[in-house]
Amino acid sequence: MLLPLLILVVALCAVLAGWALWFVVRDRAVILRQLFGAAAIEAVLVVQAIVAGVLLATQDHAVDGPLFWGYLATALVILPVAAFWAFAERTKWSSVVLAAAAVTVAFLDWRLWQIWGAA
Amino acid sequence: MSRTAPRTGSGFGRLLVTVYGILAFAAIGRSSYELATKFSEAPVAYSLSTLSAVVYVVATVALAKGGPRWRVVAWVTVAFEAVGVLAVGTASVVSPEVFGETTVWSGFGQGYGYVPLVLPFVGLWWLWHTRPDTTPLAAPEAAR
Repeated sequence: MLLPLLILVVALCAVLAGWALWFVVRDRAVILRQLFGAAAIEAVLVVQAIVAGVLLATQDHAVDGPLFWGYLATALVILPVAAFWAFAERTKWSSVVLAAAAVTVAFLDWRLWQIWGAA
Repeated sequence: MSRTAPRTGSGFGRLLVTVYGILAFAAIGRSSYELATKFSEAPVAYSLSTLSAVVYVVATVALAKGGPRWRVVAWVTVAFEAVGVLAVGTASVVSPEVFGETTVWSGFGQGYGYVPLVLPFVGLWWLWHTRPDTTPLAAPEAAR
């Protein structure tokens, strides 16, 4: 059920990471438009959290609750913190930071999907 | 952030702090989950998880702040991790039964893509690389 959202998150993260890495190659710092991209991913993560919450409340789907919500909370925190941290640095390293955060969120979301299916 | 003098949280250090922060998050998440749900199953392993989580958090903050005092804290915590991952990694391979369960450092950080193994050594290199030019520890850097 969460698969379409997983695919969307991973695709968006890949685009953002690719965009940021392109900036690394061009020796440029993160720009505001990239932070809007990160915000879009964050919005999908919030939707995902709501969908998961509703599904767990209404359906008979067993999941390791603390593990699932722990991963979800971590995924939600990473982009805002990383965006803030990256934007304060005005060198290409800010772009590396954003790319690393995007890759991490994609990985966490994949793990989230695994945990969702495992129980 | 217009400072040009080497600081532990700028340039490459910005990435280092990011990766440290992510690992700190992962370690905190893991240890709180373990403490909350199954501490009694493997107290040694889960205490170790908690200890490593705390050290990762302190190292992250120390590297991000980077002043003379924080630099000392960073040296200590990063070195602690280097020793920890080597010691626990070796122990987990030689006699897995000691810990009962896996930790962040088991199998040299295998469960985290070996990031816990590589990171402290990169951290030590970075601290050395960004060390203040003059030898006295406190005075010159405070002026930067």
